Amino acid sequence: MSVELPDTTGVAEQSPEEIADLLGDLVIGREEHLNAPGFVIKPDTVVETLKRLRDDAGFDHLSCVTAQEYEDRFESIYHLTKFDDRTQEVSIVVPADKENPVSQSANEVFRTADWHEREAYDLVGINYDEHPDHRRILLPETWQGHPLGKDYDQDQPQVVPLREHQNPLLEDQQADNQSETMYLNIGPHHPATHGVLHIKAVLDGEQVVDLEPDIGYLHRCEEQMCQSSTYRYQIMPYPDRWDYISAGLLNEWAYARVAEDMADIEVPEYAQIIRTMGAELCRMAAHFLALGTFALDIYGDFTALFMYSIRDREKVQNILEDLTGQRLMFNYFRLGGVVWDLPEPREDFFENVRDFLDELPTALEEYHDMMTSNEILQMRTVGTGVLPPEVAKSYGATGPVARGSGVDYDLRRDDPYGYYENLDWDVVTEDGCDNYSRLLVRMREVEQSAKIVEQCIDLLEDWPEDERNIQANVPRTIKPDDDTEIYRAVEGAKGELGIYMRADGTEKPARFKIRSPCFSNLQTLPEMSNGEYVPDAIASLGSLDIVLGEVDR
Amino acid sequence: MIGLLKGMATTMKHALDGKTFTVKYPETAPEVSPRFRGVHKFSQERCIWCRQCENVCPNDTIQIVMDDQRNGEQYNLHIGQCIYCRLCEEVCPVDAILLTQNFEFTADTKDEFVYNKEQLKNVPWYKGIDPLNSRNPDRGAWIGEGDGEVDYQ
Amino acid sequence: MVGPLQSEVVLFPERIANLLGLSGTLGEIVGALIGAFIVGNIMLAMTGVAGPWAKRKITAAFTDRIAVDRIGPFGLLTIVTDSVRLLSKELIIPEGADRPSYDIAPLILPASALLGFSVIPMGSGIQLADPEAGLALVFAFASIASISLVMGGYASNNKYSLMGGLRAVAQNIAYEIPLIVTAMSVVVFAGSLQMSTIVAEQTSTLVSLGGISIPAWYAFVNPFAFVLFLVANMAEIGRNPFDIPEAPTEIVAGYQTEYSSVYFVLFYLGEFLHVFLGGAIMATIFLGGPAGPILPGFVWFVIKIWAFFLFTQWCRSALPRVRIDQLIEIGWKGMLVLSFANLVLTAIIVGVIA
Repeated sequence: MSVELPDTTGVAEQSPEEIADLLGDLVIGREEHLNAPGFVIKPDTVVETLKRLRDDAGFDHLSCVTAQEYEDRFESIYHLTKFDDRTQEVSIVVPADKENPVSQSANEVFRTADWHEREAYDLVGINYDEHPDHRRILLPETWQGHPLGKDYDQDQPQVVPLREHQNPLLEDQQADNQSETMYLNIGPHHPATHGVLHIKAVLDGEQVVDLEPDIGYLHRCEEQMCQSSTYRYQIMPYPDRWDYISAGLLNEWAYARVAEDMADIEVPEYAQIIRTMGAELCRMAAHFLALGTFALDIYGDFTALFMYSIRDREKVQNILEDLTGQRLMFNYFRLGGVVWDLPEPREDFFENVRDFLDELPTALEEYHDMMTSNEILQMRTVGTGVLPPEVAKSYGATGPVARGSGVDYDLRRDDPYGYYENLDWDVVTEDGCDNYSRLLVRMREVEQSAKIVEQCIDLLEDWPEDERNIQANVPRTIKPDDDTEIYRAVEGAKGELGIYMRADGTEKPARFKIRSPCFSNLQTLPEMSNGEYVPDAIASLGSLDIVLGEVDR
Repeated sequence: MIGLLKGMATTMKHALDGKTFTVKYPETAPEVSPRFRGVHKFSQERCIWCRQCENVCPNDTIQIVMDDQRNGEQYNLHIGQCIYCRLCEEVCPVDAILLTQNFEFTADTKDEFVYNKEQLKNVPWYKGIDPLNSRNPDRGAWIGEGDGEVDYQ
Repeated sequence: MVGPLQSEVVLFPERIANLLGLSGTLGEIVGALIGAFIVGNIMLAMTGVAGPWAKRKITAAFTDRIAVDRIGPFGLLTIVTDSVRLLSKELIIPEGADRPSYDIAPLILPASALLGFSVIPMGSGIQLADPEAGLALVFAFASIASISLVMGGYASNNKYSLMGGLRAVAQNIAYEIPLIVTAMSVVVFAGSLQMSTIVAEQTSTLVSLGGISIPAWYAFVNPFAFVLFLVANMAEIGRNPFDIPEAPTEIVAGYQTEYSSVYFVLFYLGEFLHVFLGGAIMATIFLGGPAGPILPGFVWFVIKIWAFFLFTQWCRSALPRVRIDQLIEIGWKGMLVLSFANLVLTAIIVGVIA
């Protein structure tokens, strides 16, 4: 009874020494991160290093780019891993000069570096050479300074009017009236942007010629907030608010995993099962909402399907409320376990969950009747918003978006955590690469999640009463050693949700970086929609299932 | 064509069965779970003014003012700013602060959401549920003596 | 087929004139004015019920909700409060709006629909006019609507509005032709464009099943044409799955994006009137007009057009919206061909039988 492991025979496994040999004299130093070996390289050899690692060692997934400032230098860390074997990781550390922080852009090797480096420039202030689009991304263009930098003055005026900021030498860039295209602002207030997203679209008639998502409207300094909270308790409530569409426990797990690995905390098995069950319930709730809102985009407002999926999501939320005490912002995980055991009487809780699981096939049947078997929906979604697997990998797309493009990648199986490896379930993939495939992946993942929850319920029901240990013994204050660095990820509702943390010997992290799956997934939108009709671009956006709270953080 | 008809049949089935999943609020007050976290209730009789809740609060929602003899004077809580994480209840050694099930609160301005200790005391139990009876704060885990470095502050 | 029975229909204005004891030109004018007033108000009243209340209730039923129930019995007084709310809102006119056409557009939409009702026989003797070319006239009136949409879309000085207006025109042209060609097959059966004749033709019995005689409604005589007309009609009035001129999730609200307050009400009203006019045309040429057992004719007529309204809402709850290019393709490559095939087929059947 265990999940089928991926076929990793074709993937060569490299020891740190082999990687060092491969990189040769590019390496100017070594670091040891808790999750992976770190190689320090010169700032002007980024492209060469990453290319060598990608082409010769198979590190084809640039999971995240972390930027930070030390007392004496700036640093960008490229967290590399493999789509075929997630357990192999390597960190490429690129120091940059304190006075004039310039580093080569990795955009040429991994397209996903584009946005990640823009964010690093925006928040920390490292300049990336040869970057095709070196602008701020989260903060407005007129923002003064880089907020996560050390010399940032919080008291100075942070935004200046555009006229003060603008380069007076810049010519008026209005398109001439003879042009055949039309510029259209979709959002930030638009019925189909799923939050405050602004899309700059250039249209030729009804067809999209060029499209650029403009994000940052919901930037809430989540990283900075975590950096000013203590590891032990204060950070945990915040992950709920990144992806606030019912995926709270999945996000909490991302933090729990990284902090537990950093502080070396062993979570009791019983707590792991409860975590697994809660997380999968959250995934179902999040996917229900994804289905419902996708239906809104395709069907128009007031489609019955939206309400039906909300109804099913409500059922999940009732269960989660019984378990955690809240419907959205759970704050249920603690380092070393969970805060509460299952609610008493346990029989009632099990019955509620089982009732929900029993009704689920009927509900899914309804969804299939109304969505997947619907000819107009097929006409609208099959073959539109195509995202080829290679492009998806280059952009670091993960989760249902990658799996809809046939990329067999799921952290629950590939980098096992929790209780997943002892349960019987499958990773769902579809090869269509289009909006329809992504829809199907989500629908089938709900079934798989139900399967997991069912097994967890069976396990919990039979668990001996005196071994119900929900929390490990965790010291009241956690102070990891100075300069401990770790990057860990879990499979969130939308994909790979990773967190990088660096400790500085205090009880608060010195750097807390969130790798949001939606951020990377949204980056693929122009690839999917260029050349398509406006309605299909909207549908593609819906099929990405982004949450702006997580994109902007 | 069959797919379209199947979809239409599904919605018609829902229309005809007459069932609704929304309720007539406020006539039908929703059932909340015993663990649900709503507005705080504060008991000055129990409070020992240890300030642990103030320290643990992630976003400085709780403000405690004491005189120079360390006697408590004020206990203010901004229920509009609170993120309802329940850490204050969890940390409190004497159950002086509790989160009731009450989620219905309104005010004209944000400032009115700053509750002082009198207002906090007068927060009603929702449907008479006393959360202490149903919610069992896990103190063992909180004070836990682990194998690692233990630091009682 | 029976020949045209030119039954002497006494029209509604004439009756009013007779009732008032007026005759001659004065009688005609007064009768026509009062008649038009009554018919127009009946239609507007129905729209008033449909827009703020019935539509919400119907949608709620499909989506398992309760919907408006706070004001009055079954929430019926919502109609009053909603009207007050909508009318008392500020009228916001965008900068750079093309003034005369921006103001006229919301008037044309309901007016075109109301004009269409003038030739519809509503039973119980309510029919304002019965010209020889009644059917052609009603289509002519109905298609004025697209002018209003393109005017509103163009004059709003908003790109979404413009796209909505253009979509509306493309859609109307693509579906007007199949709509009228399909309607012509009915004319081939009836042998007349006159509404009263078409209705009268449908009163005969098609078949008798165990004592229940099924009337020769053209929906039963030629179901294929009925379905074609239904689809084309949905597109013509812009309802799901063909609601692309508005397409809220794509182009915000299409041509009516920039309209607020009274202008919005007029647009909203006009759309519902067009739904009812579409239902009225369907009822007249395919469902025997006001015919039906026991209840008076007018009641049957109202039931039929409300059934059509219900059908549009039903589709809205379950059917996805097609894309603009797919819509045009269905219109020109599918519907047009099918409607001509239907016309030829009908002509052959009529020719063989007659």
